[in-house]
Amino acid sequence: MKWRTGLFVSLLVAAGLLGGAPALADEPGWTDRVDIDGWVEGARSVRIRSPYDALLSRLWGRLKLSADIDDLYGHVSVDLQQNWKVEDETGFELHEAWIEYAADGWDLRIGRQVIIWGMADGVQITDIVSPPDYTEFITRDLEEIRLPVDAARFRLLGDTFDLELIWIPVFRAAILPSADNPWAVELDIPEDVRVTTSLAEEPEVSLENSEIALKVSAFLSGLDVAVSVFHTWDDQPAMHRTVSRNDGEIDIHFSPEHHRMTVLGLEFSRPLSDFVFRGEVACYLGRYFEPESITGDPSRKNALNWLAGIDWTPGNDWTVTAQATGVFIVDHEQSLAAEEHALSGTLNVSKKLLRQTLTFSNMLYYDFRQQDFFDQLKAEYAVTDDVRLIAGVDVFGGGDNGGFFGLYRDNSQVWFKAKYSF
Amino acid sequence: MMKKTLLMLLFAIVIRPACESDAFGETRTVTGRDVMVMEDERPDGNDRTSVLKMMLINKRGSKRVREVSSYSKDYGKDTKSVMVFDRPADVKGTAFLSWEYDDPEKEDDKWLYMPAMKKVRRISGASKNEYFMGSDFTYDDMGDRNVDEDTHKLLGEEEVDGHPCWKVESIPVDSDDMYTRKVIWVSKEAHLALRAEYYDKDGLLKVYRVLDFGKEDGFWTSRHSEMENVVRKHKTVMEFSAMQYDTGLDDGLFRVSAIQRGRVR
Repeated sequence: MKWRTGLFVSLLVAAGLLGGAPALADEPGWTDRVDIDGWVEGARSVRIRSPYDALLSRLWGRLKLSADIDDLYGHVSVDLQQNWKVEDETGFELHEAWIEYAADGWDLRIGRQVIIWGMADGVQITDIVSPPDYTEFITRDLEEIRLPVDAARFRLLGDTFDLELIWIPVFRAAILPSADNPWAVELDIPEDVRVTTSLAEEPEVSLENSEIALKVSAFLSGLDVAVSVFHTWDDQPAMHRTVSRNDGEIDIHFSPEHHRMTVLGLEFSRPLSDFVFRGEVACYLGRYFEPESITGDPSRKNALNWLAGIDWTPGNDWTVTAQATGVFIVDHEQSLAAEEHALSGTLNVSKKLLRQTLTFSNMLYYDFRQQDFFDQLKAEYAVTDDVRLIAGVDVFGGGDNGGFFGLYRDNSQVWFKAKYSF
Repeated sequence: MMKKTLLMLLFAIVIRPACESDAFGETRTVTGRDVMVMEDERPDGNDRTSVLKMMLINKRGSKRVREVSSYSKDYGKDTKSVMVFDRPADVKGTAFLSWEYDDPEKEDDKWLYMPAMKKVRRISGASKNEYFMGSDFTYDDMGDRNVDEDTHKLLGEEEVDGHPCWKVESIPVDSDDMYTRKVIWVSKEAHLALRAEYYDKDGLLKVYRVLDFGKEDGFWTSRHSEMENVVRKHKTVMEFSAMQYDTGLDDGLFRVSAIQRGRVR
């Protein structure tokens, strides 16, 4: 069981939400200011390849409590999960806990919160404020792939321009599958190589180790555009190596370390008739890239991540979304595992039927260079207003010469979920 | 011509009808188009707030409920609106912001906030023939339809539930419209459509009825109505509550930053 509530967040909740209650207890309508909702979801899957076992077996609930006191607003959400496949996931977890003050022309939100940027769907270009949770790789619902951060977010709000300033005093790393998690990636290690790994070195909590972001957004007639700068730590550690050779054997010690980087971002969205055109560009200054060789060391490079997307809503409850995305590494070296310009794409097609109670959708991720893919086909039916049944199949394939999706071909699965919302 | 938004129409008008105007007096012959213009320009304040409950009832009598809080405000002939979904639970907090322009050459701006995704995204204009939240109302039924998108003919005068009405036939100018014609009964007193029949190429498709209406804050308003699809034996009942006009809604409510907060109030 885990309970990740930090002192910072606990104080916040106590002072902001619970502490406010007695003072207002005699005011009429107080109960109208408190809102409780959430959901419970059961999920189970079976691999469609040998050994045909379950990759997913869990019961997950989220309780959300919100309270509204004039210009002050508080929100707490707590997760409770029983996970029969990834034991670390079992237990309570504080998902979000923040208070917000909204004034005329500005607002301030302090606490544990999920912050989402960008225009992309299922792809992170500028959207790197909240780190990803890859416990189940990318098979989860997109909204459950993001981790909250302990942050203060201040916004100056104009008629058409907003300025957003984010301060993250406590670093939070991405969650990568490990240990007995079926989504953990096993290194291909030669027989004469022995590998040891130390715990990832994370930045200490200090003012100078804070992450800070600034974003200016404009919402104009027919165009949304934003520029941003984010001085951050890479959510994923660089795997530095110490290599020693003894009697014909090679000892490699991995020392994972998170590094500083600065990301400059630009994003836009432009509707036109039944279409919306979207784009994002992020310049990563000082990101480490892994070497091709197991004995090599990560290299610090600048890289340009980009995305171009189009949404099409032709009517009759059809939606089509296509995205192309790439990563271009400046001063690329052949020793790197990544190509100079990696190119991939997504295609999402969905159709609603039966008065929008039944939705069929298909999301395809495709890597053009590795020629591997991940395809998720699912059907979602609202049995009642509160109960949904969802069934789907995740297929990984291709990438005979490597590739991220192809690695998981044995994790192709069919799954079923039942979700109750309240 | 005053342009009305989806929210305005959800709140107050709902169907595109026709009615009389004091300006024409007793002696002037009222045309079908006159009635439509009068209805379109019926006073409805500078801003308005309401809660809309929609009950979707199928032929077996089973119900699904959608609840929406809505706010809208006029800016000259343009209108900004926010709609927040309260029910069903899995879409609670979803917010829809639109800036609708009177200028037909200028495309409306629309954003959708999805609480699960915690982000706002631009959306294009939904197909006008698409049904709103699985109800029997299309976006076109509820949205702003320019009076001159149809040709109107006054068929006569009839009473609807004891209320004197003009009866108008409206035929779309666009031959690709999903309806071939509409027949609309408009209250002479309230300038509200109290009944409407929608026909397609196969005949009568839907019937709209106002079940209760009256003045709210001095403005004629439909409080309770229904749309019945007579072919599919499906019905949508609409109930409005907490209706308020001219409360001086803050301009900040109609910004993207407001729906980005995940709550609108």
